[in-house]
Amino acid sequence: MRFSITGVNHKTAPVEVRERLAFDDRSLLEALIELKRRPGFCEGIILSTCNRVEVALTCEDGPGAGVAVDQFLADTRQVECDWVTPYLYRYEDGEAIRHLFRVAASLDSMVVGEPQILGQLKSAYALAKEHGAVNGFLDVLLTKAFNVAKRVRSETEIGVNAVSVGYAAVELAREIFGSLDDKKVMIVGAGKMSESAARHLKRCGATQIFVTNRTHERAAEMAELFSAKIIDYPVFTAFLPEVDIVIASSGAPHYILTKEDMKKVIGSRRNRPMFLIDIAVPRNIEPDANNLDNVFLYDIDDLQKVVETNREGRMQSAEEAEAIIGEEVARMLARLKEREVVPTIVSLQEQLESVRLAELARMRGKFGTLTAEQEQALEALTKSIINKIAHGPISELRRQASQPEGQHFVTTIRRVFKLGE
Amino acid sequence: MYEMGVFWLRVATALYGVGLLHVMALLLRRKSGFLKYALFAFLVAAVLHFVAIVELATAVGHLPVDNFFECATVCAFLIAVLFLFVYWRYDFAGLSVCIFPLVFVLTQIGAMETPMLTWPSTNVRNAWLLLHVMLVLLGYAALLLTATASVFYLIQERQLKSKKSIHLFKRLPPLGTLDNLISNSMAFGFVFITLGLVAGSAWAFIESGTNWIRDPRIALSFITWGFYLAMVFLRASAGWRGRKAALMAVAVLCCSALTWAAHVGLRSMLTK
Repeated sequence: MRFSITGVNHKTAPVEVRERLAFDDRSLLEALIELKRRPGFCEGIILSTCNRVEVALTCEDGPGAGVAVDQFLADTRQVECDWVTPYLYRYEDGEAIRHLFRVAASLDSMVVGEPQILGQLKSAYALAKEHGAVNGFLDVLLTKAFNVAKRVRSETEIGVNAVSVGYAAVELAREIFGSLDDKKVMIVGAGKMSESAARHLKRCGATQIFVTNRTHERAAEMAELFSAKIIDYPVFTAFLPEVDIVIASSGAPHYILTKEDMKKVIGSRRNRPMFLIDIAVPRNIEPDANNLDNVFLYDIDDLQKVVETNREGRMQSAEEAEAIIGEEVARMLARLKEREVVPTIVSLQEQLESVRLAELARMRGKFGTLTAEQEQALEALTKSIINKIAHGPISELRRQASQPEGQHFVTTIRRVFKLGE
Repeated sequence: MYEMGVFWLRVATALYGVGLLHVMALLLRRKSGFLKYALFAFLVAAVLHFVAIVELATAVGHLPVDNFFECATVCAFLIAVLFLFVYWRYDFAGLSVCIFPLVFVLTQIGAMETPMLTWPSTNVRNAWLLLHVMLVLLGYAALLLTATASVFYLIQERQLKSKKSIHLFKRLPPLGTLDNLISNSMAFGFVFITLGLVAGSAWAFIESGTNWIRDPRIALSFITWGFYLAMVFLRASAGWRGRKAALMAVAVLCCSALTWAAHVGLRSMLTK
């Protein structure tokens, strides 16, 4: 049996190809049913996200398995096989296991360490299992992949820090306020960046959002997006003492909030902390405001710097994660090798048991009827003898299973104990 | 006449106690439950306080400011009147956080000029002292927590202002969490230390009559409590956070450490 992963991702295929190959819910289901039907395929799972489409398969040994997968993908997505083949990559056996673990641990993602991929893989697994496309080897392997991903998350800091400006703002707000529940946000100047930051903040619990903009129409548009309250631009500073987080991104060519303004605001708030996010260029808030106690002012460069440092941190964590994955792949391969010697171990035990039973029968003919106690003693004695004989070869078989020369040893044992083919 | 004056003063102290309870509830629950009842009790207490001073003055033939106890009584009365005026004129209820406990404690000191009773048994005496010690120690523990959390707040605030990687901040709790911790531990500490102070001064009063006020250790306890009261007031009214709050908390902690050091020989009192 061979295990392989075939697919495309953001590194090997442009978006035009990926979107052509991507499965929606319905076509994914049909593809899984088709996969089960195809001759030569044993088990399979299909992972389809915006950055990757992959088919993980176990199939019977033999030539042409790879081509069959390419054909399967082309058929189910109704594209020419020749068109898709140049974009496909294929990993087999050990390499495929490594790839699966890397994908689950988000090392192969566009944003390394992003957490969604694990959820997507779990959904793909659940769907395949529900429809009987996974049963046995892939079951074990995927469960292991989820454990490996969990281990990578807990032992490295790969997913700890934010790597987008909007999310960095949320993380900073959390460091200031703890929970964002019941926090009030004011957006000054309705732009794309402020919209993204506000969306993140709202998703993380910020209850009320105020919007103020020079042009009322744009403010109204954004207010509708967040069910926000519109504040008249000329009087927005009067509302600041109520607000915990300010996102400034207006096009004003000068500071719209000075240190003096903020001093008054923070006084009215009785020094409760305030987080100011100034993503406007030129800046909207006088940088010296950051020197006021309990005012935390971050401009776009500060946020970028945080993101950059976090990204470097992730790369370091990725190296640690690769080491963990290397270790887990080796362990998995050893486990698989061990499974290969199981038939030999079973035959050995059966062979010894048959010898034991034959000898017991022969002996009974010589000694006539035995008492129950004598029977019991004989059973125990003979079982103990064959167990002791089997112990050495079985341990050694297990040990040798993962060694490169292990197969020779297996053959020798089969020959010595006359285990047949 | 003099006894009546002392009696009314003690009744006034009890009524001022309602104000103290209001402040404690306010600090612990962060919302005012019974401010208007406390204010009413405070007003009645101030009237009785006035009656007491008049009766004492009639008894001694002049304004009773001959010793520390009498000075405290008059001083507390003046503070109470001033507060009522400020409240009536400016509606500044926030001041009550500072004034209610202060007036209560000063009036309590004033009411302790005349020895009242003796210990019914040694056990009650020792148990009372232990209660005082336990309350004060709980208060100190809460204060230590307040000071530590204030320093952490300061560090975290500096880190956030220095704008380094978020990664660095993760080692400390968020500012909001620290702020809650500081508020809660400060409120509990204040309640315990105030109750401890009341229990302790009452114990000393019964134990050594009017001599207790000359004990420097007790004076030090009152000063420490005064600092604590100032810290609680500044936080509750002006929202002191960050550097100022951390320095204040550490100063109060040092003061408390001194008070503690001064009380080290307390065990000998139990075996007396």
